[in-house]
Amino acid sequence: MTLGIDLQGSFVDALTGLGLPAGAAKASWLPLPMTLILIAATVSIFVTVWLERKISAAAQQRIGPEFAGPLGVLQAAADGLKLLVKEDITPAKTDPWLFTLGPAIVVIPVFLSFLVVPFGQNMVITDLGVGIFLWIALSSVTPIGLLMAGYSSNNKYSLLGGLRAAAQSISYEIPLALAVLAVVMMSNSLSTVDIVNQQAGYGILGWNIWRQPIGFLIFWIAALAECERLPFDLPEAEEELVAGYQTEYSGMRFGLFYVGSYVNLVLSALLVAVLYLGGWELPVSIGAIASVIGVSESTPWLQIVAAAAGIFMTLAKAYLLVFIAILLRWTVPRVRIDQLLDLGWKFLLPIALVNLLVTAALKLTFPIAFGG
Amino acid sequence: MLNFLKQVGDYAKETAQSAKFIGQGLSVTFDHMRRRPVTVQYPYEKLIPSERYRGRIHFEFDKCISCEVCVRVCPINLPVVDWEFNKATKKKTLNHYSIDFGVCIFCGNCVEYCPTNCLSMTEEYELAAYDRHELNYDSVAMGRLPYKVTQDPMVTPLRELAYLPKGVMSPHDLPAGSRRAGKMPEEILDELEAAKEPADQAASDKG
Repeated sequence: MTLGIDLQGSFVDALTGLGLPAGAAKASWLPLPMTLILIAATVSIFVTVWLERKISAAAQQRIGPEFAGPLGVLQAAADGLKLLVKEDITPAKTDPWLFTLGPAIVVIPVFLSFLVVPFGQNMVITDLGVGIFLWIALSSVTPIGLLMAGYSSNNKYSLLGGLRAAAQSISYEIPLALAVLAVVMMSNSLSTVDIVNQQAGYGILGWNIWRQPIGFLIFWIAALAECERLPFDLPEAEEELVAGYQTEYSGMRFGLFYVGSYVNLVLSALLVAVLYLGGWELPVSIGAIASVIGVSESTPWLQIVAAAAGIFMTLAKAYLLVFIAILLRWTVPRVRIDQLLDLGWKFLLPIALVNLLVTAALKLTFPIAFGG
Repeated sequence: MLNFLKQVGDYAKETAQSAKFIGQGLSVTFDHMRRRPVTVQYPYEKLIPSERYRGRIHFEFDKCISCEVCVRVCPINLPVVDWEFNKATKKKTLNHYSIDFGVCIFCGNCVEYCPTNCLSMTEEYELAAYDRHELNYDSVAMGRLPYKVTQDPMVTPLRELAYLPKGVMSPHDLPAGSRRAGKMPEEILDELEAAKEPADQAASDKG
């Protein structure tokens, strides 16, 4: 197991070399990855919105945004700018505090979850021991924001939409957590970095998707439901309802919901990549490549190439999943609320439980293959 | 017990089947991604309206005999025919004629029944105006001829689906002189005449 490049270590060493105390050096490092990830997450919204619109257009034999920037890449920026300068309406008799807090509570946990998303061995803001659990905990804060938004809007349809969104999020969190639990059981750790390392060494064959195919499907379905993507977008069902809990929102407050939904999609895709598709691992393990071209794994240039390839692989896997989500959006019809809850409670939950038990049994029987 | 196992088996089979169907659906959507867009990039490209296109109505003032047939056949009596009886010539003289295209449904009944063919359908469909009263066209406005899509240098004219060669789905990049599937109306007419002539010949020979 290589350590990969350790930017934090080098940075802190350089600063202590300049005569700074170690604590101050570390503190001056901290904002750098946070800002970087924040920017990356924000840019990912633009990329995802552009992909969504272009892929949707292609699936419907249209062209899609074309005039705002080359190939319409600036369309999302133009839309964002429009939302920013739009009048910010607070409808009569709303609860102004809850009305403002709602979208913020939806967005903040999503951005916070990027704390534990690793892009390489040391390329993660914090390698928390409870990493993936932190994400599950944060993602269950979101329905509270949705409820707040629906409740404070002083509109019965908003309230219904908010309740539906909360019901959906809560019922799909359980199969999601159970699917994660099976992975965690195999890697003996909740840390996202450990989960990826446990999949390393055998290239594409070592990825969790081969050992957890059912878990992968359950996680992906539940993640789509958490993101309120089609076929599970009934809280806001654009063709039938008036946007559910978002009905009364306009301007940047609506923009926050929009931002939250797209960042959440990217985040879910990243986590599927981390949990099931080997995170930053290449389809051929970097050790094998190093021995083929005959250089040591600790060669500086190889480490830099490996780190870049790791970031690229993580993003490539995540965006492949985003692509599948968009394609699914134009393939699968929307489910009804009763079908949604049926699928969550009567299908995914038992399957996830069985998957967990089978994983436990396999772990006891084949400790080598299932991380005993 | 056996019944329960059968139920479980059926359920699993159904699940596998629905997964298969979703996969098939995904492959269809995926296949659509590599197809050429079917959309017409409107202000830059326009479809050529078909010969029987029922667009804005054209009116020839001098042909009109103020018979008001158009008003009677109109579902909502829309055309306004303002005429006077000229006692000297004992004929009606038309003062004004107007149709409000904000209300007209372009059914073409007036064109169908006009005894002097002073009404006709054009291929104009871009009637947008800032005020709905601007859509009330008088005889002067209705006397204008629309600008043809094929003659507009700013516009790429595109043929409609029925006017494309056999098997071609996209109106873009058609080779010059390519003709539509099937026979043209004038060809059908020629053939009919050709078939009729020997018959006439035979009839006249007999008689």
